[in-house]
Amino acid sequence: MDEYVLDIPVEPPKELRSLFIPIPPEYVEDTYKSDDFLILVGPQHPGSGHMRLIVRVKGDIIQEVIPDPGYVHRSMEKLAENRLYIQNIPLVERPAIMDAPNFNLGYVRAIEEALDVEVPERAKYIRTMLAELGRVGTHLYDAAILAVFIGHTTGFMYPFALRELICEALVRLTGARFTSSFIIPGGVRRDADESTLKWIYDMTLAMERRLKSFERIFINNPTVIARLQDVGVLSKEEAIKYGVVGPFLRASGVEYDVRKVEPYEAYDDLAWDMPVSDAGDGYARFLVRVNEVGQSLSIIRQCIKEMPEGRVISEQIAENGNDIRGSFYDSLSNIVLPSGEYTTLTEGARGTIVFSIVSDGESNVPYRLRIVSPGWLYLRGFMESMKGERLADLQAIYGSFGYFPPEADR
Amino acid sequence: MMDIINYLFETFSSNMMDIPLIAPIVDYLMKIPVINVLVALILWKPFFAVIIMPGLGVLVLYLLYVVWYERKLTARIQWRVGPLEVARPIRGAIQALADGIRYFFQEAIVHREAHRPYYVQLPILAFIPVLLPIMFIPAGSAVGIYTPYSIQLIVTFIALIPITIVAIGWAANSRFAYIGSVREAFMYFAYEVPFIIAVISMIFLYGSGDAYVAVEKQSAIPGALLNPIAFIVYIIAMLMATSRLPFEIPEADQEIAFGPFVEYSGILFGLVMVLAYEKLYIMTLLFTILFLGGWSGLYCPLLGDLNGPLWMFIKTIVVISILVIVRSIYARYRLDQALRIGWTSMLALSIAALVVGGALGVWLS
Repeated sequence: MDEYVLDIPVEPPKELRSLFIPIPPEYVEDTYKSDDFLILVGPQHPGSGHMRLIVRVKGDIIQEVIPDPGYVHRSMEKLAENRLYIQNIPLVERPAIMDAPNFNLGYVRAIEEALDVEVPERAKYIRTMLAELGRVGTHLYDAAILAVFIGHTTGFMYPFALRELICEALVRLTGARFTSSFIIPGGVRRDADESTLKWIYDMTLAMERRLKSFERIFINNPTVIARLQDVGVLSKEEAIKYGVVGPFLRASGVEYDVRKVEPYEAYDDLAWDMPVSDAGDGYARFLVRVNEVGQSLSIIRQCIKEMPEGRVISEQIAENGNDIRGSFYDSLSNIVLPSGEYTTLTEGARGTIVFSIVSDGESNVPYRLRIVSPGWLYLRGFMESMKGERLADLQAIYGSFGYFPPEADR
Repeated sequence: MMDIINYLFETFSSNMMDIPLIAPIVDYLMKIPVINVLVALILWKPFFAVIIMPGLGVLVLYLLYVVWYERKLTARIQWRVGPLEVARPIRGAIQALADGIRYFFQEAIVHREAHRPYYVQLPILAFIPVLLPIMFIPAGSAVGIYTPYSIQLIVTFIALIPITIVAIGWAANSRFAYIGSVREAFMYFAYEVPFIIAVISMIFLYGSGDAYVAVEKQSAIPGALLNPIAFIVYIIAMLMATSRLPFEIPEADQEIAFGPFVEYSGILFGLVMVLAYEKLYIMTLLFTILFLGGWSGLYCPLLGDLNGPLWMFIKTIVVISILVIVRSIYARYRLDQALRIGWTSMLALSIAALVVGGALGVWLS
């Protein structure tokens, strides 16, 4: 079909300035002249989350997507500069409340690296278990959001019901449904007793059974496959080029997992596989995470089976090795990190989490705390994968990436 | 004056529903001077068919039921409880009524960009093509207007409904409403052609567009077994036409936020929201006539003339109750996928149905 260029005067709407939309007026003019259409999806849109997507479409085909994040920016990095090291633990968990144990772990490991604290074996197993519980919870949450984005309400309700089991496990283990701040420098807050571990072991088996019904109604559903297959494809080269991380990188065929590459905690001692797919489309991104849930449940069971006896808090931190209660503030409030920069990589549910603490060596607050969350890292790849797809695919791709604006905005 | 009333009374009472169950009450009321005209009017067959059953009266009941039932069924499938707090003893069954009252007292905002006159009157105008088919749908001996072309007329009015929805989207003058309107127009063409061909195949089969002939021909075998291909095409077309999942494309709330209806609020939203449900009701009535033997069923002597409308209503409700389960099973197709289904497999199936219908029609006659 031939295209006709119409030379009509275009006036960019006044809202461009009053709404602080981050695109120049010339861009709007150019869009209108080339017979394209600008659609602002969000921030008040049922399918956008807390961000605005400026979508340039030609007919139904997306030409370009410009993200406008920052609506839930909470200045975590600045806030962290005015708090004690241990007061920052609840703060750094907040970006991704589903994935709190992994964020907590990354931050605490940076402190331990600076202080050269040796973590007891039993604490390492409990931390690994916590991190995997967080991973399963996050993947279930993302699966639910993906389901509701493509209009499958049952696929939304099942994972949220399953996530209740994870919350219950965290309650029994730590006392909070999520953001439990359970991991502290030198170990975990308190020991886990036998009955709790038994309950979590049984829970993983129960969850696997219930995941079967989720698989029947959602994962193998022909309409779901039709919506996700060959949609938002990122090839291996593109995924590396745009710096995609985590399960989304593995879905494009790159075998990279921080837990395998630089093992931390107990991951080295446990047997688990890294789910990888070569397709790089939305369905592969979803399936990789579904398989990761299975792996995580297996890791949790192994942790419980192989958990050694012993103390859970390092001797360097507290005398009582089983419970920090009563001596938490005495032991940890005055830690001062030696001057220098300490960086850790952690494999969160959505990808690599980078924590970098800069200390001046004399104050009991960080000089600078840098958090790079996975959402921020794969935002570019997420935007690129939408080019050339249809407008209706925007939500499907969004869900397949599990993008979580509070996590990216920090 | 008295002559007119007498004339009306004569007209009404000459063609009344004969229901033995309530005959003593009717006989007693017919003796009272003014009330007898009203009773005669209510039991006058055309009035009864259009206003009470299977017309407006049970349509309202059906709306109350289906909104509640759909939510309750979806909730049970999804490990939830569903509507409960409004009238706990009857498990929240009047939830739709509570919602309706809330819509009624909510502010109906007309935004600045809207084409105000069209925007306000189109939700009400949209009811004309939705409700007019009721005039021609017979139920047993009760029928509003008898015509030998009733099936064709009903299909014609159903085909008019999407035009009002496209107009609603245009009058709202918003981006998402515009996209929704375009999607509605695309879907309209995708399902309308196979749908009409499927109906034509059934008309060929019965040799007439008369609902009475259709029901009479199904006295031995229902139409669903006579022409199963048309049956399947009709069901899929019905899901597409009433924008139910997996074809809930024009209203996709996560993508375009209820599409053509995005700007509506208050009672106007209440009106446009029930449009799809009413369309589903009309299409299911036609479905019952074409494929499920219409109003034929076990005859109960106590009910007399009420047997026809009652059976029709029961069949319609059962069909709808089965159809609403798709909402909790399927995800939403993309527009191009739905169009592909409409223009390839459904069109092919409907042409096959046409051949089957034509062949069977010749053989039967």
